[in-house]
Amino acid sequence: MFTGRVRKGEGSGVFSPEGLIIPALMVAFWYMATRGGTALLPSPEQVLRVLASPGDDIASCGSLLWNIFVSLARVVVGLLAGILIGTPVGFLMGAHRFSRRLLFLITEMARPLSPLALLPFSIIVFRDTTLTKLLGLTQLRYSRHLFNEIQLGMVFILLWGAVFPIILDTMHGVRGIRKRHLEVARVSGAGRWFTFLHVMIPASLPDILSGYRMAVGRCWMVIIAAEMLPGTNSGIGYLLRYSYQISRYDVMAACVIVIALVGALFAKGLADMGEARLLLRAEER
Amino acid sequence: MGAGMVIRGVEKHFREKESELHALGPFSLTVQPGEFLCLLGPTGCGKTTLLRILAGLETPSSGSVSFTGSGSRGRIGYVFQEGALFPWLTARDNVAFPLRAEGASWGEARARAEAVLSDVGLSGFEGSFPHQLSGGMRQRVALARGMVSNPDILLLDEPFSSLDTRMSHLLQEKMRELAGGLSATVVFVTHNIEEAVFLGHRICVMGPRPGRIVRDETISLKGERNRLSAEFTELLLSFRRTFEEQVAPV
Repeated sequence: MFTGRVRKGEGSGVFSPEGLIIPALMVAFWYMATRGGTALLPSPEQVLRVLASPGDDIASCGSLLWNIFVSLARVVVGLLAGILIGTPVGFLMGAHRFSRRLLFLITEMARPLSPLALLPFSIIVFRDTTLTKLLGLTQLRYSRHLFNEIQLGMVFILLWGAVFPIILDTMHGVRGIRKRHLEVARVSGAGRWFTFLHVMIPASLPDILSGYRMAVGRCWMVIIAAEMLPGTNSGIGYLLRYSYQISRYDVMAACVIVIALVGALFAKGLADMGEARLLLRAEER
Repeated sequence: MGAGMVIRGVEKHFREKESELHALGPFSLTVQPGEFLCLLGPTGCGKTTLLRILAGLETPSSGSVSFTGSGSRGRIGYVFQEGALFPWLTARDNVAFPLRAEGASWGEARARAEAVLSDVGLSGFEGSFPHQLSGGMRQRVALARGMVSNPDILLLDEPFSSLDTRMSHLLQEKMRELAGGLSATVVFVTHNIEEAVFLGHRICVMGPRPGRIVRDETISLKGERNRLSAEFTELLLSFRRTFEEQVAPV
């Protein structure tokens, strides 16, 4: 989770030349360790070969690129569902005391429950329902279309992973709105809707975004683990496990590197976006 | 002409768990339309509570406030002690906020906001965010926001008390200058005797809790008020005496 304050001109600070030192050392060490050739560890060159042609099919599992794409698409759908449900619920709990009392306990009970623990139930309930089926896009059924790979069971556990941090951070954001600011709106004769749009939302936006950031990170961790379990045969997590089963350790290592890189890119993108002020300043222009 | 106010026997109690705090009253006062009234009193005498009741932010525990003229509260301008500017809006949009809240378009509201910002001497800072402005500038933005909708009643809660003396003198002069062009009835709350004497057409001195009026006087100083003049000093001393004898006896 990104919580640090960003200094001017430094961007998010996630990617800096200094940050490459340790990865470079690790690759160098890896190179030395595998120079003689071992049965267990793939060499950097082997892994690089896999990474260099991400479009090639791997053991008829689809390409690296396709599987990353599938995992990302699942995260996007799950996250969107989490945002669409979590934001209004969090707002309600922040602004309305009865709703908060009604939902706080159940939220705090559900939050620590690992989404992975729900995967078996999720598969039983949703079976093989995909986005294609849900949207009634039957003509897509033959081809290897992205929507065919987005199982609702996956979406559900991602939703589970995303929704609670979003709910709680949104609630904290709304509860933290300064009373003064609401009073300014009131004496200005602002209606409820105007106050909601122009005071409550911008005032709580930094917290809401921090909930979203947290949710993205959790979703990425959850999806990789979920894909390694039964219930799917696509996605970068599946490719990782499958390459283990067929002893393609070069692919395995490539998957791990890609997962880490995507995670870091998420962190950077969200940290850049997370500067709520920048976001609002852009709106002003 | 702004709205007049008739305050009759207004009382306010705040309930805090076991104890009850008697914050104000019973308090009665008639404010003439277009008057510039300074409510002068020590901290905790209930003047902010009174102001909030006038603004409709609190309801009195008993008593009533009625408005002469249109008969309703009409448009209110309220300047909070610490500005309470929206940190996510520029100076221009902070000032435009009350107009937008009333349904004006962004274009209209911003044009008017820029005019009022220039009145308070902030031309060139329209696009600045509150955190980029000094304390004095922020208070001027707050002042502009209070006046932008041409309110019937302008309520100010110690707007300059957090500023240094020089800046607060500067803004008091600005306030006097602007008040001439306003049609609003102004209620200006302060604990600063000099500020009250400098600004008020009428000064009501409130005693300590629960807030009653110990002196109510219309100020006869005409035209420019000069802090160094003999009349000003005399008036200042006379209010200081009232303060010492009846408000906060030493």
